[in-house]
Amino acid sequence: MVAQNVFFYLLAGIILFSAFRVVTSNNVVHAALYLVAVLAAVAAEYVLLAAEFVAATQVLVYIGAIIVLFLFGIMLTRAKLGSDQDLTHPHWALSAATAVVMFGVMGYALVDQFHWTATPLPADTRLVSVDGSNSATVSDSVFTAYLVPFEVVSVLLLAALVGAIVLARKD
Amino acid sequence: MDDLLLNQFLLLGAVLFCIGVYGVLARRNAVLVLMSIELILNAVNINLIAFGAFWGSITGSVFALFVIAIAAAEVGVGLAIVLLIYRNRRSVDLDDVAEMKG
Amino acid sequence: MLASLWQQLSDSPVPIDSVDLAWAGLAPVMILIGGALLILAVDSLVPRRLRPGSYALATVLLAAGAMVAAVPLWQRVQDAERGPFATAAGAIMVDGFSVFATFVILSAVILAALSFDGWLRREEMDGAEPYVLMLLSASGGVMMASANDLIVMFLGLEILSIAVYVLAAMHLRKITSQEAGVKYFVLGAFSSAFFLYGIALIYGGTGSTNLVRIATYLSATVLGDSGLVLAGLALLLVGFGFKVAAAPFHFWAPDVYQGAPTPSVAWMASGVKVAGFAGLLRVFYLAFSTYRLDWQPVIFVLAVLTMLVGSVLAVVQTDVKRMLAYSSINHAGFILVAVQAATAAGVQAALFYLAAYTFMVAGSFGVIAVVSRKGDIGTSLDDYRGLSRDRPVVAFAFALLLLAQAGVPLTSGFFAKFYVITAAIEAGSSTLAIIAMITAVISSYVYLRIIVAMYGAGDDVPAPRTIPLPAAAGLALVISLTVTMSVGVFPGTLASLAERATPVLIPESDPGAVDPSGVPPGP
Repeated sequence: MVAQNVFFYLLAGIILFSAFRVVTSNNVVHAALYLVAVLAAVAAEYVLLAAEFVAATQVLVYIGAIIVLFLFGIMLTRAKLGSDQDLTHPHWALSAATAVVMFGVMGYALVDQFHWTATPLPADTRLVSVDGSNSATVSDSVFTAYLVPFEVVSVLLLAALVGAIVLARKD
Repeated sequence: MDDLLLNQFLLLGAVLFCIGVYGVLARRNAVLVLMSIELILNAVNINLIAFGAFWGSITGSVFALFVIAIAAAEVGVGLAIVLLIYRNRRSVDLDDVAEMKG
Repeated sequence: MLASLWQQLSDSPVPIDSVDLAWAGLAPVMILIGGALLILAVDSLVPRRLRPGSYALATVLLAAGAMVAAVPLWQRVQDAERGPFATAAGAIMVDGFSVFATFVILSAVILAALSFDGWLRREEMDGAEPYVLMLLSASGGVMMASANDLIVMFLGLEILSIAVYVLAAMHLRKITSQEAGVKYFVLGAFSSAFFLYGIALIYGGTGSTNLVRIATYLSATVLGDSGLVLAGLALLLVGFGFKVAAAPFHFWAPDVYQGAPTPSVAWMASGVKVAGFAGLLRVFYLAFSTYRLDWQPVIFVLAVLTMLVGSVLAVVQTDVKRMLAYSSINHAGFILVAVQAATAAGVQAALFYLAAYTFMVAGSFGVIAVVSRKGDIGTSLDDYRGLSRDRPVVAFAFALLLLAQAGVPLTSGFFAKFYVITAAIEAGSSTLAIIAMITAVISSYVYLRIIVAMYGAGDDVPAPRTIPLPAAAGLALVISLTVTMSVGVFPGTLASLAERATPVLIPESDPGAVDPSGVPPGP
């Protein structure tokens, strides 16, 4: 169990450092690459919680597709390749204060609800159904309890597809 | 200090959420604002998976999958809008988006 | 080889339990989605452009078909023996509330489609996509109104929003339209993320995303209110507040209403607002009724702010679309007053208001779409001078719709405001009722300003110009005016429909155990 904690804090460190760089970096491409680090480390956290199917989807869809979209977006909008001072508002301190206050409120609500040490997760967080893997449980519930939401996601993707075509079409 | 605690994950999610909020508020480049929104969505997913493990229900994982799909759809449409505005004004700086006054 | 594969499949040791789906309950949504797909397919197969207007006609027919499909649902949920029902493993709830909201959303689709037709042809943008996006967006709205699970609620919200972001940015030759799209998208995605975080916190605090199970869990927990659930509720309120343009989450509305294509705005101000409020009522009034002492003061503050911002800032505007944007913020404040009451009467007042307002606002933006010139310009107050001479009928209809928004007697707007204020006073918030009436007076100045501009004489009236009135837009105007005036004279029909449209929660374990009065279990 100690190993899990070591990994957790290692990954948390990577996530927070990289996320911080995403929002402060003066180079758009660097920001995108730091985002990759965040996404990969978050996927590893999912594995720690035995949600391996979500972790795999995170890697395939987020890192494999969404990041590529972002890189295309950066390329097509001809972002400066070097460092660019115009990426952040001059009055960023106000935004930082907002974020800190928000964290204070949410951190208080979380610690108040679950206390710091009193709420451990179950030792085995796998949701065993058919063959001892989370993936089987996920697929079972996607095609039973969450069938309608699952189909609705396809409508969402259709709407996004039509929308992107409408906007990208040359007049 | 042996077991994984629920709050470890929740506070990690909360910090990531707030970093994302800072990014949306402080960044001027539209693509970077979109990236900050992705940070927020990841914070949500960490919460969902941790709560799913805590309650022993699969809802968290399933919802997290849906969130990933939604993120893909949002980024697709968002970048299409950003490219559209870039085509017309050669800039993706959100501070320049101020044609209308009221 | 196929045979052996088949053998393997049929020997599969774990058959998946199929979900019990009441298809009739999903029929309106499926007609909207299937119709959108059909329009897309026809559009791609037909080599040349179809006759102008056929997509608008198809959209109107689809929305009308979905309404027809919803009529038996209404009869079923009103039937004392059968009553409301949950389907799709408890994810969708079909009750009077959802069917009523479905009807209102579909009316908004019809009015906006009629308005789109002439507008798209004038802008030389005629095509299937705007209609497809609007149908998909409407399907998301209907899902929000009938969601019994926060997951479905969120997915509905996202379908609704993503299509509307595109509808706002759709005018490819008008820079303000794209600015409207960017603004709406960035703020919308941001508020959706807040909404999502709120759902995650509520899931953490209650162990479920199902509204029924959340309500059961909360009423079984006798301990004090959980800070986690409260934080989640606050975040959900940010998401809903953004969608319905409630202050302080309204900053996008004036710019987006001004820049976006006018028929898109007609849809945004009617259908999107109805869906947003339907979701808000379902979550706050139904699932979190045990927390009402916590959220009522917050809604109180939001309502006051929204009404003040919407009425006071409207006065200083010079663009008619911006004026109506602020006025729609003021109307959102009025509906929040009804939400704040947190009583059955409040829900009825909110539904009545939403139904009445949909016709008023869709008709008003329909007029603006007609009066504006090619390029979607000409929406300043000066462009309305002399309208009574150039197009007397349109000017008269617009004047009536504006008077209805001001709440003049003999229009639906009067009874909408009357029911809201009555509900607020009955619920003991007279302060709110007084503030609401004061802001109604302030914002009536705005409507009068537009009417005076249309009917005013003098030197500043520009030279006569011809304003073409497309037949479809005229039809939309006739429909909205007929409904507005007839509800104003005979409010009883709509009021009794709204009265029977109270939302309900049905415990899964015992589908028969519905309180016949339709009132959900209190705290």
